[in-house]
Amino acid sequence: MMRKTEDDAELADFGRFSEPALLILISLAEEPRHGYSMTEDIETIAGVRLGPGTLYGALARLEARGLIEPLKSEDRRNPYRLTALGESALRARLNSMMAVARTGQRRLASA
Amino acid sequence: MNWMLRLYPARWRARYGEEFGAVLASQRASVGMVLDVLGGAIDAHLHPQILGSDSKQIKGDDTMTLEMLHRCAIGGPKLSPDERRIASRLSIISALVIAILYLVLTKIYRQAPAVQALYWTSIFFPNIIYRQTVYLRKRTRLTQALMLGAGLSAMYLFMLAVFLLGSKL
Repeated sequence: MMRKTEDDAELADFGRFSEPALLILISLAEEPRHGYSMTEDIETIAGVRLGPGTLYGALARLEARGLIEPLKSEDRRNPYRLTALGESALRARLNSMMAVARTGQRRLASA
Repeated sequence: MNWMLRLYPARWRARYGEEFGAVLASQRASVGMVLDVLGGAIDAHLHPQILGSDSKQIKGDDTMTLEMLHRCAIGGPKLSPDERRIASRLSIISALVIAILYLVLTKIYRQAPAVQALYWTSIFFPNIIYRQTVYLRKRTRLTQALMLGAGLSAMYLFMLAVFLLGSKL
């Protein structure tokens, strides 16, 4: 198991939504996006197409935790943006993943 | 595919319905997508707290599933303390009345099918009375009496028919 910092723990209890939530945060790190745009972006960066049920299950959790927030919109496609808390949670999570990846690569190299 | 939105709680639909509908409309329908939406709807019913405390509060069928589970668990609709007291008293009184009636009839008619039927029906009497009182509590006294009378009579006649048939075998 990856060691979790306090910020990293924000995503820890998302259950089956933790990976989609991470992908959403990564997608929003670039710019605010609405649901459909996130789905497209995530498919491009990770090769996974999130279904609407999964996407909004993760979005609702992220919003409830204050990691993302909706922006005002004229049409029915509501865009979201990363909050400061979301940004720090994403940073912590990515750092933690990178630490694990580095360890794995080091061990592979020395094997 | 927008009908699938109806699977979600009202509170959830009020918050995400429109944008969710837009995403739904933009995707090609497939079995995987239907399952994904179904899973999302179940999740939304099971975890209403994911909407957060500051979300718009809408009373209605958003808690329908939880309410139904609650009702199944306790065996009936939500009752006020007064309604519960009345239903319990009626059940107890009916059980006592039927027990006395059974004893009296047994003394007079012994094991006649009509008495036997009364005995077996009496097992369900308190339950039927309790249920009818609970579910018909918003109806008039006359409707309650008619429904109760009809339900209990039907039960008694059924048991009587069984015993009459049994006595001929």
